[in-house]
Amino acid sequence: MSARSRLARAGVFLVLCVIGVSTVYPLIFMAFNSMRTTQAFEVNPFGLPTHVTTASYSALFSTVPFFASILHSLIVVVPAVVLATLASSLAAFVFTKVPVKLGNVLFWTMLMIMFMPGIVVLLPLYVEVARSGLANNFAPAILIYTAINIPYGTYLLRSNFRSIPDSVVEAARVDGASWLKVYWRVIMPIGKAGVITVGILTFLNIWNDLFISLVLLHAPNTEMVTPTLAELSGKYTSNIPVLMAGLLLGAMPTLLLYFATARVFIRGMLSGAVR
Amino acid sequence: MSSGHEPAPEGSPSVTDTERSRKKRNFFSYGALAPAAILVLGLMVVPIGATIWHSFTNWDGVNSQFIGLKNFDLIFHNPIIYQVLWNSVIFLISVPLILAASLVAAVLVYEKVLGWRVFRFLFFIPMVLSPVIIGVLFSTFFLPGGAVDQLLRVFGLGNYSWLGNVWGARFVVILALVWASFGFGMVVILSAMSTVDPALYDAANIDGASWWRRLRSITIPMISGALQFLSVINVIYTFTSLFAFVFVITSGGPGFSTTTVDYYTYITTFENGQFGYGAALALLLFLIVLTLTIAQVRLFPNREVQQGS
Repeated sequence: MSARSRLARAGVFLVLCVIGVSTVYPLIFMAFNSMRTTQAFEVNPFGLPTHVTTASYSALFSTVPFFASILHSLIVVVPAVVLATLASSLAAFVFTKVPVKLGNVLFWTMLMIMFMPGIVVLLPLYVEVARSGLANNFAPAILIYTAINIPYGTYLLRSNFRSIPDSVVEAARVDGASWLKVYWRVIMPIGKAGVITVGILTFLNIWNDLFISLVLLHAPNTEMVTPTLAELSGKYTSNIPVLMAGLLLGAMPTLLLYFATARVFIRGMLSGAVR
Repeated sequence: MSSGHEPAPEGSPSVTDTERSRKKRNFFSYGALAPAAILVLGLMVVPIGATIWHSFTNWDGVNSQFIGLKNFDLIFHNPIIYQVLWNSVIFLISVPLILAASLVAAVLVYEKVLGWRVFRFLFFIPMVLSPVIIGVLFSTFFLPGGAVDQLLRVFGLGNYSWLGNVWGARFVVILALVWASFGFGMVVILSAMSTVDPALYDAANIDGASWWRRLRSITIPMISGALQFLSVINVIYTFTSLFAFVFVITSGGPGFSTTTVDYYTYITTFENGQFGYGAALALLLFLIVLTLTIAQVRLFPNREVQQGS
């Protein structure tokens, strides 16, 4: 390796470090400042906290029902992710391996409404939900989140399943497997990485969304994490450490999911699963 | 796509057998499509129809009366709308910034220097965070006397009311948006780069092409489809999905200077209860997005986007 190219690689490494710090430092900022007092934050928000205190966390739990909001998010997100992933993968399986006449109509409908602004859909649904006395009820929120995530999931899984050779399906059929069995025992295992990636993306989409949860679940006993955090930021502009504690805990579930699944998720995303 | 033919079972099947298996096959197909079809039709297509219908009414959530194009007339005579649309155009500045940041991150990770996997892992982090968390965090950085002001003080610069100032507030929203979005862009570009034949780079190396030259003449042309996809996606995102950022960073202010169409529609509909007017606004937003998407696909005719694969 020439001196010049070694220098170039050192330069690349340096720039990567700068970008890396920009993505990690905000997490460190949240963590350190959640352990400082307000006074200490105002003096120096950078660096290690000199006096570690958990006061912000106690203040957080006493002002907003934080753990309840995590629970509400889980109640909505988990069933919606399972339902959306199942419905999308079933549809993608039919589109690629067992096509029927009306299938194309459905697929094109999904493509067309994939990037529909959420508010176009949500406006009449909100009115209908409120009129049916189902406001602040988890069931409509679960179903609406499921529906909204089906088109993109189907689209991604369709390109994923298309790369599975038809001969695999045919072989299983010759062996006498039912279509349902082919889907569950053949296609789902082969397309596992893609299915998991779509599942994670759906989880992130719903967990991180503010708009739908804000509109449909606004009562204290149903409020999800994101509206709770948004509300917290309105209350605590003067007490940043409490706000940082809330943000850090609110970020934890998706961060942990990412850390736990990074290998499969990154591979799935890189294999062109995202478009 | 599969051939659409039922694989013939071993031996010679009787007519009733294939008839029965075709029926089974259709039964399965329609059954398997049913959950997706019912949810998408019932909770997306029908509501879209309802929004279109109600955009011609004075719906207040309970009663509605057909009033023709009155809502649209009101929209086009509302000076705030022009301000709001202009804001979205300004926020489009984020699109080339996101593309540039994604490209830099992807190209550098692709160099596979020491620790490149770790960097790739880290660059994904913003992608898994909610816009709410990112938005609150960035607005904290830019509070008067906050982290950014403290850093600026080192350089002898005074406090600046970032969020109290039109361009300061817009800057913070754009910055948060770019930080939130470049990880996804990087993945899309990296995945496109992985399909480039390494022999191309080897040949360029033998010809003595510089790094910059290879980037310009090989990488960028080979990933133009990915860049275009990102451009389309981010333009759509800028118009339809800044709600959470705006909600927590600026609440649309100062004045209406950071209010986007989706945020304005939220206010008129869910805070002021003008559902018919809100429906017309939502529809307008959809038409803008549709036009911009078609325009982009037309402007840069490229197979990949049109095929959608």
